[in-house]
Amino acid sequence: MRNVKKETDKFLREVQKPTRYTGGEVNSVIKDPEGKVRFAFCFPDTYEIGMSHLGMRILYHILNEREDVYCERVFAPWTDMEEKMRERGIRLFALETGHEITGFDFIGFTVQYEMCCTNILNMLDLAGVPLLASERGEGCPFVCAGGPCAYNPEPIADFVDFFMMGEGEELICEIIDVYNRWKGSGGSRTEYLSEIAKLEGIYVPSFYDVEYNDDNTVKCIKPNNENAKPVIKKRIMLDFDKATAPDKIIVPFGEIVHDRIMLEIFRGCIRGCRFCQAGYIYRPVRERQPETLLCLADRLIDSSGYDEISLSSLSTSDYSGLKELTGGLLERTVEKKIGLSLPSLRIDNFSLELMNRVQAVRKSGITFAPEAGTQRLRNVINKNITEENILNSVSMVFGGGWTNIKLYFMIGLPYETEEDVAGIAELAEKVLHKYFEIPKESRAKNINITVSTSSFVPKPFTAFQWEAQDTRESLLEKQRLLKGAIKSRKIRYIYHDSKTSFLEGVFARGDRRLGKVIYAAYKKGCRFDSWDECFKFDAWNEAFEETGIVPEFYNQRKRDYSEVLPWDHISVGVTKEFFIRESERAKDARTTPNCREQCSGCGVKSFGGGVCYE
Amino acid sequence: MSDYVLKYSRGEEIKYISHLDFVRAFARAVRRSGLAMTYSQGFNPHPVISVASPMSVGMTGDGEYLRIGFDEEYSPDEIIRRLNDVFPGLKIKAAAVRNNKKEYDFASIEAADYTVFAETGFKGLNTAGFFGLNEIIIPKKSKSGVRDTDIKPFLFNISSEPAEGGYIIYMRVAAGNSNLKPDTVLDAMKKYTDGFEYGYFTVHRRALLNKEGKELL
Repeated sequence: MRNVKKETDKFLREVQKPTRYTGGEVNSVIKDPEGKVRFAFCFPDTYEIGMSHLGMRILYHILNEREDVYCERVFAPWTDMEEKMRERGIRLFALETGHEITGFDFIGFTVQYEMCCTNILNMLDLAGVPLLASERGEGCPFVCAGGPCAYNPEPIADFVDFFMMGEGEELICEIIDVYNRWKGSGGSRTEYLSEIAKLEGIYVPSFYDVEYNDDNTVKCIKPNNENAKPVIKKRIMLDFDKATAPDKIIVPFGEIVHDRIMLEIFRGCIRGCRFCQAGYIYRPVRERQPETLLCLADRLIDSSGYDEISLSSLSTSDYSGLKELTGGLLERTVEKKIGLSLPSLRIDNFSLELMNRVQAVRKSGITFAPEAGTQRLRNVINKNITEENILNSVSMVFGGGWTNIKLYFMIGLPYETEEDVAGIAELAEKVLHKYFEIPKESRAKNINITVSTSSFVPKPFTAFQWEAQDTRESLLEKQRLLKGAIKSRKIRYIYHDSKTSFLEGVFARGDRRLGKVIYAAYKKGCRFDSWDECFKFDAWNEAFEETGIVPEFYNQRKRDYSEVLPWDHISVGVTKEFFIRESERAKDARTTPNCREQCSGCGVKSFGGGVCYE
Repeated sequence: MSDYVLKYSRGEEIKYISHLDFVRAFARAVRRSGLAMTYSQGFNPHPVISVASPMSVGMTGDGEYLRIGFDEEYSPDEIIRRLNDVFPGLKIKAAAVRNNKKEYDFASIEAADYTVFAETGFKGLNTAGFFGLNEIIIPKKSKSGVRDTDIKPFLFNISSEPAEGGYIIYMRVAAGNSNLKPDTVLDAMKKYTDGFEYGYFTVHRRALLNKEGKELL
């Protein structure tokens, strides 16, 4: 295996942020690679984004705890670095050893969002590994993938040898165990894949044939290998309190996006917002005990030297041990001058007092996410907060001295009307009014309200998986409408371009035929599609045209409940019947209680743990 | 609170860290070591660390200095021992208490010794001849445009020896208030030497010196 550290050293001075490529950070794992299973853990985006991802840190830790494995990190080199590597014939290399990953045993990708697909192809190409799984011969690394975006694996199925569905802590070790046995047996690639196909959560795309109807919808997805399961069920860590959490984390040299200790307090979400894929795929809710977390926090503070801790979950306020945990954390953080950040907190007396203790002087901005402008539409999406809740909260926040408020909404939601869009402006005005209601002497100056909208993308494994995505024209019209409806100069409106959302909409619910679009777009130079400076919408449109794929078939078409969905052979534990019920309730703007109020029978009880049994 | 000066080396592993990142990384290392670092007063307390003549990205060094405050008194040995375990690539070589502002004063730094390796196929580099020039004029970029500047007054000494694949060049240049970068000297050598081209180069700072040509610690 070629070590390229010496060679990259000759030009690292000339690229942006060279510490992205050097490795050697504190707590990165150094081992003798001799005789070990070599695992390249690839994050298909920049170092700063990838290193902020908790899942990668967990699996890195778990794999490296094993003596028979060496897991190393690989990120997508930025365009300046890629250019230099290609110029000099340097292949994609792992940060720890500097070894080119061409000869590794596994190349694993975590797929966090739709728009990273071309980066996966580019990284494989830079690694000198054939892009198509069908072209990989004996001796090639196994290319595997996981992560939330892999729950609909079909658009990238052509490029991946196998997928790992769900939480990977146990499964990733199981595939290594099978690998060790297989390697000694002299078996073929197919034999290995066929062996791991027996494991719960493993999906080998080449073991399934997809047939299509005349109208281009999927007819069926059938296994063609006796070990391949008809339905692949995601894996979860049932006893999350006991699940491994790294007590030593790599501390990057340069600043990364989430440059702090992240304490994962629970997985899943009790809320059931109908648009939210995370809310469904991570079910059921499983918590870590406050004592476990405090103990972990102590070890992480000591081993990292970080001066900030953040709680990580989908909804901090829903953590049942929040009082005990924050109390314990504050004892430590105040003494050690460590900042505590509490994302996704609902505003009430307790949280306001908490925030006051956390940020003694500086009042940073506070974000509210009403998601929709009217109560009717909030009921449609099952966002169970009322206008009264929101206005009470902002009153408290203004009274507490905060003046920077961000209101986050989506446009293009199912059943949305002009009234709902205008409702966003009205709600923002009401929020502003709450500020002026507070006597001048007891409010801070310089009120600043930001309304931000993003464009809704229907996702698989949600109640809206059958819905048509709004057209770009309609979204632009709604943005214009909203812009016109916001009158006050104290309210700023920012919105996102709908081009990326359009493509996300295609790939989120795509099938296997999209592989050739991704391939074509990659060949046209697309990469880092989620970065404005690299995004080439025209190239994507050309790729659709050349491959004869109509994107609107995937994103703007309403499906029947009876249609076979491209991801029907994957199970997240939530049943299709439940999604249909939720979809019907959405139609009537009827809400569904959260998991702690009342069980709605979504199906994840079958896992046998978590909030379902509290 | 006690004010300390630390002498350290910056190794290959950490040579690409920018100055600001280095200060932050060092503060984190101190936190890992458990030494009681002093923080600034005010709304947003932060460690008070200052680095003497911060280096450019890509350079290594053997005689670097930084100042830091601790809330407790530590012996130099203890500081060295506890910090050397927590920052791979950085070695603390010496530590001392500063009893007053004049002691180990970074403002007294006037020169730096560098060892440069330049990759080149060129033979017969006449460093003595280069140093013998009365003036060495190079174009220098500033806000108001490019201006010719004489760097000779800031080049105190230079010599070289052939090495495998290139030349090793030793130089003593101005540091502190007026700074002459080794890469600028290399550029000038290229300008004044017909046929001398170089590709890859490394820069290692051996020492920071005061007026007497002595190291601070």
